Amino acid sequence: MIDVGNINQAGSDNKNRPSLVGLKKGNQKPVSWEKVFGFLLISPLLLILILTIGFPVISAVFSGFQDQRIIGSPSAFVGFDTYLKVIEDSSFWDALGRSGLWVAVNLVVQTVLAFSVAFSLQQNGRWSKSARTWVVLPWVIPTVAVAIIWQWLLNSNYGVLHYLFGEIGVDLGSPFGDPATALFSVIIVNSWHWFPLGAVVIYGALSTVPTEVIEAAKVDGATPGRIFWSITFPILQPVLFALGLVGSLWSFNVLDSIYLITEGGPLEASTTAPVYVYDLAFSEFRSSQAAAASVLTVLVLSVAALLFVRFGRPKEDA
Amino acid sequence: MRTKTFKLAALVTSAALLLGGCAAPAADPAATDPATDSAAKGEIVIWHMEGVPNRVAAFDALAAEYNATNPDFTVRFETQQWDEIYPKIAGTAQAGNQPDILFAIPDFATYVRSLGLGQPVTDVVEGIDASQGLLDASKVAYQDGGEYWAVPLYGMVQLLWYNKVMFETAGLEAPKTYSELLATAKALTKDGVSGIALPAGKNLATDQVLYSLMITGGAANFFDESEGIALDSPETVKAFSLYNDLLEYSPKDSANYAWGEPQAALNSGAAAMAIEKGQYLTPWAAESGLDPSQLGCAPIPVADNGGQSGSIYYSNGAMVLAEDDDRRAGAGAFLTWLMQPDNYGDFLNAEPGLFLPVTTGGADLEQWRQNEVLSQYPECVDLLLKQSETGALFGFVDGQYVEKIGLISGQNIFAQAIQQMYVNGMPPAEASIWAQEQMKAAIE
Repeated sequence: MIDVGNINQAGSDNKNRPSLVGLKKGNQKPVSWEKVFGFLLISPLLLILILTIGFPVISAVFSGFQDQRIIGSPSAFVGFDTYLKVIEDSSFWDALGRSGLWVAVNLVVQTVLAFSVAFSLQQNGRWSKSARTWVVLPWVIPTVAVAIIWQWLLNSNYGVLHYLFGEIGVDLGSPFGDPATALFSVIIVNSWHWFPLGAVVIYGALSTVPTEVIEAAKVDGATPGRIFWSITFPILQPVLFALGLVGSLWSFNVLDSIYLITEGGPLEASTTAPVYVYDLAFSEFRSSQAAAASVLTVLVLSVAALLFVRFGRPKEDA
Repeated sequence: MRTKTFKLAALVTSAALLLGGCAAPAADPAATDPATDSAAKGEIVIWHMEGVPNRVAAFDALAAEYNATNPDFTVRFETQQWDEIYPKIAGTAQAGNQPDILFAIPDFATYVRSLGLGQPVTDVVEGIDASQGLLDASKVAYQDGGEYWAVPLYGMVQLLWYNKVMFETAGLEAPKTYSELLATAKALTKDGVSGIALPAGKNLATDQVLYSLMITGGAANFFDESEGIALDSPETVKAFSLYNDLLEYSPKDSANYAWGEPQAALNSGAAAMAIEKGQYLTPWAAESGLDPSQLGCAPIPVADNGGQSGSIYYSNGAMVLAEDDDRRAGAGAFLTWLMQPDNYGDFLNAEPGLFLPVTTGGADLEQWRQNEVLSQYPECVDLLLKQSETGALFGFVDGQYVEKIGLISGQNIFAQAIQQMYVNGMPPAEASIWAQEQMKAAIE
């Protein structure tokens, strides 16, 4: 930062300094043309962001103070009544709980799958080389197709998986139709759909681990486990942190997979927070309640994200 | 001097970018707004929810045929999904860029009207009625306040479909009553085959099958005169109870079934019976590997005491959402053209068996009766037409027009009641009261 004293004393050195368009009174901080120009250049984008993010958020908060049923229908201001109605609805908290479970199990399953695949891809065999291409297939398949594929694979009448498990004496029952298994079954489908993203990112990060350090550790007699925890994992930590944060927020908001496979059922067994909000808005036509629920969900999600950042961020010396 | 020029250029560039950023959104809606877009081209945009490829192709072919007649407004069909249409049409209502014509069913039409959309089409309906004769059942569900709010296009009705080979092997006849249906389902459930395949997912498919059984059980009308809900009648409980009992003989993953799974189960030989609409005709022979004569069809079984013949009946219609007089006239002209005998048969053939005629002469249209699919199942086609005569739809029974029915049907409360019994083990009497309370809450 350039201070006023330097400007006054600079003399001929000022030729090499940025041109100044003015000085702020009070704090005496100068504003450069480049800075103004920079702000002007990004101002259309900022304006669009404010309109596309700020307006819906404010609109949702405001809608939560009303009692609107169908979107666009007349409504009245009811203070905090709508928010209280959502807070008092046990289904809302149940849905939030399921969302927590959904995020946690998805994170674990996808991380295990992604690491396993990433390590496999690091090998130099023919299988590994070809796998680098086709392992991303689940990721590129549209969610609608994924939902249909898994519904048919697990159908009790003609599902291939159902048949194969039956042949070895395992009755899969009704994975999507049984309240005890519906949520976990959809988690498996969702994890299968998204794990290649994590695998590709981790595979990329693994390639940044210096081989000479690994070799040195091997020479010193370090076991593969010790090498992973003491060398590989610390180097991967920043990437894993970012992946975990973004992936968790992403995962939390998944609606399509769940809705396409179970519609949140049977009963509410797989109704997560996004499904709850969607049902409120478009099945029960309670748009203000849906807005209030989404605002409350965002608050809970923000707290969770802050905690993740606070306690999950890798240490600087890691 | 150069610095000044640079500053000026920078300022102008920034201002242009800023103004461009502000101006772009204002220009965009015109580019994506179907109404504005079609106005410029003299085109009527029609939204329908019949996304099956053969239906889309048939509709597009009809549009091309109509456009070749050089009408004032050409037409273009756009396919939407039932799952998405509720929020989507609400969005268009807010933005004012609704399509000119929207395909609808009666309960959905009440929802669309509650959004402030929809124009009376009484003149079009009366014109078609005078020339082609419209079935009363198809019209009444769209009549409110002395006006018609949609032009009836085609009907849909359910039957009991069954695999004749399985029935003959077991020495069974098509069931006619509740108790016969249950006994037949039980008798046919063996060797990995389910006696019947029923949907029990939280969806409209489940709602529809249950309501068919409610009709034949004498519980078609569950609204009292003041539109209060009374679902706890003995007739309703009997229908709930039957459905729950039948699910014992349905595949174990029925709680996740909608329309496709029961049909696939019947066609693959995994189930002996299913209750559904006429879309079962087209794929039967190819998917089952059996002769068309081996697909059995029968009226929905009726309650042992006090039952009556019937089925859920959907009169599918076209709402005119265009607000401009010229566009409304253009929409009316197309719908009138569509219902003319020369074109109507082709329209019904978009899905043979599922789309049933709503005109008095429609049943005898040669191009429809001679359709390559329908001509193989003449008895079932006649039965579908016969069932149409006694069909009903909740909220529109005996001339009713329950404005808030859309709030109830959108939540699939019947289906949720089925799940309460099937998944949670709730007794039928409690499930009917639970559904009643849910419906009351829905229209509060």
